[in-house]
Amino acid sequence: MTADSPKKLMCHLVAGYPTMELSFQAALGMVEGGASYLEVQFPFSDPTADGPRIQEACVQALEGGFTLEKGFQLVGNLAQTFPTVPLFIMSYASLLYRRGIPWFLDQAQEAGAKGLIVPDLPFDQDEGYYQAAWDRGLHPVSVVVPTMDPGRLDQLLSFLRGHGEPYVYVALRTGITGDPTRLSDENLSFLKSLATKGLKLVAGFGISSREQVEALSPYVEAVVVGSYLVGIIREAAFPSKSSEGGKDALVKRAVAAAVSGLIQSR
Amino acid sequence: MHVQPSADRDSTQRMMEGKHRITGFFGSFGGRYVAEVLRKPLDELEEAFITIVPSREFQEEYQGKLRTFVGRPTPLYYAENTTRLLGGGRLYIKLEGLAATGAHKINNALGQGLLAKRMGKKRVIAETGAGQHGVAVAAVCAHLGIPCRVYMGEVDMMRQKPNVFWMERYGAEVVGVSSGSRTLKDAVNEALRDWASHPDDTFYILGSALGPSPYPDMVRTFQSVIGKETKEQLAALGLEPAALIACVGGGSNAIGFFSPYVYPGNSPYETDEQGASRPEGEKAPLLIGVEAGGMGSGIGQHAARMTGEGKVGIVQGYKSRFLLDEDGQVLPTHSVSAGLDYPGIGPELAHLGEVGRIEFTTATDKEAMEAMDFFARTEGVLFALESAHGGAAAIRLLPTFPREAVVVVNMSGRGDKDLFITAKELDRERWKEFLLREAASLGGSL
Repeated sequence: MTADSPKKLMCHLVAGYPTMELSFQAALGMVEGGASYLEVQFPFSDPTADGPRIQEACVQALEGGFTLEKGFQLVGNLAQTFPTVPLFIMSYASLLYRRGIPWFLDQAQEAGAKGLIVPDLPFDQDEGYYQAAWDRGLHPVSVVVPTMDPGRLDQLLSFLRGHGEPYVYVALRTGITGDPTRLSDENLSFLKSLATKGLKLVAGFGISSREQVEALSPYVEAVVVGSYLVGIIREAAFPSKSSEGGKDALVKRAVAAAVSGLIQSR
Repeated sequence: MHVQPSADRDSTQRMMEGKHRITGFFGSFGGRYVAEVLRKPLDELEEAFITIVPSREFQEEYQGKLRTFVGRPTPLYYAENTTRLLGGGRLYIKLEGLAATGAHKINNALGQGLLAKRMGKKRVIAETGAGQHGVAVAAVCAHLGIPCRVYMGEVDMMRQKPNVFWMERYGAEVVGVSSGSRTLKDAVNEALRDWASHPDDTFYILGSALGPSPYPDMVRTFQSVIGKETKEQLAALGLEPAALIACVGGGSNAIGFFSPYVYPGNSPYETDEQGASRPEGEKAPLLIGVEAGGMGSGIGQHAARMTGEGKVGIVQGYKSRFLLDEDGQVLPTHSVSAGLDYPGIGPELAHLGEVGRIEFTTATDKEAMEAMDFFARTEGVLFALESAHGGAAAIRLLPTFPREAVVVVNMSGRGDKDLFITAKELDRERWKEFLLREAASLGGSL
């Protein structure tokens, strides 16, 4: 494929990492650098589907006093600042379930989120989450993997039928976030098989280079960038040598540069 | 209150009889709330569990090794001195801690290890808290010739150093987990990540009756040998128990010990298809689970999920009762025993607690320590600190039973491993002197 394909990014951040204010600045940098979507992760104490880098960020955000209330505030602020950038909340079942899924979804809707990504509420054991999201006009984003049993994938697709053009998150390699991704034949053929199903695909896991973004872009609505940006934020917020300017500006500038570096044409 | 447990809870029993597949739910608890990447490995595990485990070949090999490698049956010991001293009912102790590697954990480790081998897996991973499950898995893997990696929280590695040493002697690779609270739950997280990265060649031997289905059913199945054996041993003496007592962390010793008394087919108390647990006019044993009361009732001071402020939640792939804050974040816990400080409880126990079949109580750090000391002096039996929580409840409750009543407490582990905790609590000065001398003899200085 060519470098001319439109390249859209869904940029991921952990709410409250390294602080609530700096996570807001990071989001500003993402949009400035060219992000088309934002994925805001609400940190959970036991994020089993995340790699060490994102888990560490979650732990720090929680130690820094992250609460759901602050998380929804951040989402609300971002949605007001960037009304044209769709925003998804990523989190885990425990956070949705504790005060009740309808309550959580009401908050998400009021804050202006477009949808949610909850990896441990699969469609066939969802505690009513999918229907409750649809009832509120929110997109519940299913996560699929190339190793999935084809029969189960068909079940999911028929479950999603009748809900417009659903967003589906493709986790591209077996495993967890933060490992290098090779865009194998298996991954690409899986993406191609999904491309004809009337879905809006976002694909990620381990994306850290312009080459990967270029290879993926023809097949998806957006490429998800996660751990890589957490690393960029960490370096900017905790620089090894002293540098000029306040942390707000540093984080925003570093993130903007990293994001635009992933989508700029050569 | 004797609400009947729902029909699902004996799903494995029915499966063994070829009647239906497991549902993975116990009332509303249990389930398989996992990211899609773990779905296929869990489906394959379930298939292997329900087809291979009931087979004659598997059972012959498993039962044989339980005798020759684990050392079963473990004794049922009449605690005559305690009975005389305390008055009330007669106390028996199931000496499960005399099994190989010092705890009940090996019943399950062996079962899953054999299953791993039959599934053709090339590598085993496990989590461990107190280290007893890790040691059991390491020994089983040495016995079966499978490479083994054990994840253990760094806090647990510090307080259970001897078990780290023994796991390494058995040839296991022990990997310290530095994330989160650096205890058992974090080791589970890390093991799940490893499995998600290597689902094809790796078997995850989970150590307690919790986690995503089929683990709660599978672990209970392998641990039910404790209860079945106890029942046979009592029957041989012409006895029926009035109460069974077990400590509860995740709850694998408790559910294994209790299961023949909860479920039909195994129980003298069954009445109908629904598996009534305590039919009218009959005496079925009280089942008492003992949680870690720790240092008190404040946040982070205990691990009482059933008797304390436990909330229904979904964590680590299953629904059960957990210690959670208002936002659903997992709260810190404490117990003097590393095996009881897990913030959740197995879903089957949570269900049986909710319907009133199991009663829950707590024992504090101090009570457990005193119970350990009491049984050592009074009976010549050394409880692990985990199991001593059950022992403490037995001491408390025994006088409330009539003389002919039989009370059985499960000593799920023996206390040798706790030397570095108990010695500094009970004999601080002389222990310190000894350690200083040992350190000096190794050329250390302070």
